[in-house]
Amino acid sequence: MRKTVVIGFVGTVLDYVGKGAERWSKWRPTVCLCQQEDQIVDRLVLLHDERSRGLVSRITLDIAQVSPETTIEPREVVLQNPWDFEEVYSLLHDFAATYPFDLDNEDYLIHITTGTHVAQICWFLLAESRYLPARLIQTSPPVKRRGETLGTATIIDLDLSRYDKIAQRFAREQAETVSFLKSGIATRNAAFNRMIEEIERVAVRSKAPLLLIGPTGAGKSFLARRLYELKRQRRQLAGEFVEVNCATLRGDAAMSALFGHAKGAFTGAANERAGLLRAADGGVLFLDEIGELGLDEQAMLLKAIEEKRFFPFGSDREASSNFQLIAGTCRDLRQWVAEGKFREDLFARINLWTYQLPGLAARSEDIEPNIEFELARFAREQGEQVRFNTEARLRYLAFATTTQACWSGNFRELSASVSRMATLAESGRITTAVVDDEIERLQANWRLPGKADALAELLGDAAAELDVFDRIQLEGVLSVCRESTSLSDAGRKLFACSRKDKKQPNDADRLRKYLARFGLDWQQVSVFNQKGK
Amino acid sequence: MNSRVIPPAQHQKEPEMNMIELNGAHGEGGGQILRTALTLSMLTGIPFRINRIRAKRAKPGLLRQHLTAVSAAAAVCGANVDGAALGSTALTFTPGAIRGGDYRFAIGSAGSTTLVLQTILPALWFADAASTVHVSGGTHNPAAPPVDFLQQSWLPLMRRMRVQTELECLRHGFFPAGGGEVCAKVAPVSGKLQPLTLESRGEWRATRAVAIVAGVPGEVAKRELEQVESLLGPMDTELRSLPAREGPGNVVMVSLAYEHVCETFVAFGERSLAAETVAQKVAGEARRYREGGAAVGEHLADQLALPLALAGGGRFTTNRVSDHLRTNLDVIGQFLPVRGDISEITPGVWAVDVQPLAV
Repeated sequence: MRKTVVIGFVGTVLDYVGKGAERWSKWRPTVCLCQQEDQIVDRLVLLHDERSRGLVSRITLDIAQVSPETTIEPREVVLQNPWDFEEVYSLLHDFAATYPFDLDNEDYLIHITTGTHVAQICWFLLAESRYLPARLIQTSPPVKRRGETLGTATIIDLDLSRYDKIAQRFAREQAETVSFLKSGIATRNAAFNRMIEEIERVAVRSKAPLLLIGPTGAGKSFLARRLYELKRQRRQLAGEFVEVNCATLRGDAAMSALFGHAKGAFTGAANERAGLLRAADGGVLFLDEIGELGLDEQAMLLKAIEEKRFFPFGSDREASSNFQLIAGTCRDLRQWVAEGKFREDLFARINLWTYQLPGLAARSEDIEPNIEFELARFAREQGEQVRFNTEARLRYLAFATTTQACWSGNFRELSASVSRMATLAESGRITTAVVDDEIERLQANWRLPGKADALAELLGDAAAELDVFDRIQLEGVLSVCRESTSLSDAGRKLFACSRKDKKQPNDADRLRKYLARFGLDWQQVSVFNQKGK
Repeated sequence: MNSRVIPPAQHQKEPEMNMIELNGAHGEGGGQILRTALTLSMLTGIPFRINRIRAKRAKPGLLRQHLTAVSAAAAVCGANVDGAALGSTALTFTPGAIRGGDYRFAIGSAGSTTLVLQTILPALWFADAASTVHVSGGTHNPAAPPVDFLQQSWLPLMRRMRVQTELECLRHGFFPAGGGEVCAKVAPVSGKLQPLTLESRGEWRATRAVAIVAGVPGEVAKRELEQVESLLGPMDTELRSLPAREGPGNVVMVSLAYEHVCETFVAFGERSLAAETVAQKVAGEARRYREGGAAVGEHLADQLALPLALAGGGRFTTNRVSDHLRTNLDVIGQFLPVRGDISEITPGVWAVDVQPLAV
């Protein structure tokens, strides 16, 4: 059977009520502790100083009478000033460090009703930080009105989740926050919901950088802004939300836009500029498409994140800014690090809380709630309530959730699609005719031919004559070409390994020859790829 | 050796069930059902399991005073106990042989020495040897019969049933300080218990009031006794003034002795409760009994059912049928082949009949 051990100060005021029989009519917290019908104190560690020896021995006798099960363990301590925080804390900290706690066999309770308020505060701090592996217990005097005679003892568990009402309060607050992060959209995709719940926990507890990965239109920027608003509501930050798409920053302008510049730092720098980092001081800086940031800017950014200090362009005076970074990207940054296009140290720094935001097609069950959201937004912005006819809604949903609907523009595209239908709707009703037109429009937009078709379009009838082996290889080569800016660029990627062994790399030539085997040249391939995009 | 009242095998109503299941929330739903079950289990050798202990109470499960009774019972018969923990709502008790001997139990102020004695004394009556039991703790506790009640009212009736038990109060212990001590000397019953029939009280013999003060001014006791006499008429009175270290405490007890029975009524003094009010309370109870026609009052009735059942039968009349009594009869019926019937024979008088089951 586990033993219950209570640790507490003898109450030099409350426990000290004289020696006569009358003492039994007065409420003494330490005695009350041992008189409870529903609790047995197996051992009572009674801290006291030299002056209270007499009190402790009297209390020991009285407790033996009311609670024969209890062993008293007096601990004499030296306490010059029980109101001195530093002294009391040090004393109790030493006690916590040296007491032979036997957690396998004993449960510990700290009696906080006796001792000074300073002692109470110290007990609490030590228990809360787990230096003392104990829960708190308080005693309170009898309420005569309720017919009580002994007083009560109540355990205070600092694990708040154990209290139903408090737990409910937290759960409600968390649900509200999660809903806020999702803009009130009742999303159904379980993986997405789990992810948002984790982001919620991280967001309210951490100031560390967040990395949001996902295709364009997946809602990275939207989520970043919501996170900022949440923190702002919780009074966790006072600064601004500063958002910039790194793809728009090029050259010197990038440095200056981000880090600011000194007056006269370069031609045209007529005035000092604070830069986006300083604008985000005390707030959130959202760097979308962080992969597009130049290597020099990446180095500066790393220093700014780590030290919260950086040099504005052309300045030899350091500036400081304390911001939380949220980075967004649609790239595989790990791959970019391997290719030397992204700094490894910066990646390591921002790759702490990394979340993959799925595209709309991967969350087809969330299409319907998002349509509702978009209609509500349209109503709010245009002041016009628009609804689907039942059949029209079914038809649109059926199309939107098929695999045929690739939603390459993700939520942004869905938003545009709903806006179009809402705008074209007559007298607030979206009819099947409106939906049919919209479906056609989307299909036309997505006329990204399927892979088999792509080759057919490029090669004509010859495509049908290809071996599967060649077809797969050619498709792969074409997709690399699509991601490349020139024949040489594509060649470098395709022959990245073998080119190292060559004195004179001739990747462009190798690729040209390969394409020629199929009767293709770079011009044809890039024209075709442009159409595809 | 096993000096059970009745060999277990004979008594199990359904031989395939070797354990009795009790619902702790049934009837009175408190500690009584547990104490009665402990006594009967020790005596019959039948293990029991009680579930939903005090399920309907504000603090469900076993309290300290119940654990005290369980551990005393377990000590007396070397029982195996499962679930004996504070707050536990289920308990399994598997008794061993009852052993006479010297026992010492120290219980806290919240428990009562008399409740412990009532649990284990009937078992020790059938032990293999004589016993001496010291129990320290509360002897005069508002939530239990005081030791004087056992001495004056209960034990004389038990002796008529051939029980040989002497009970002495060595030191008084009042709630909440406790610190009292009682000592019981028990000689095993030779043969069977004598059934008891107690249909009338017989002739009045004496009325007596005792007021005890400990650490409380003697004036309080004096006023209480005066008030009791003024309400009930002249009687023997005794003012017992105890050393302050046995206190604080104050109790007034009125006993009405008749030819066949002596009833004892009790009221406790409290802070901010006038001595006269305490006296009125006890005198009121005594008068209600005196004016009624039943042989025993509520508390004695509660304590008679079990010995009668052990004796195999008996009958008494009472002026009040409490939940404790009904609960006791129900539990008894589960352990022993007897049935208890309660019938109101005249207004305000109930007869309690305990009879062997017809075979």
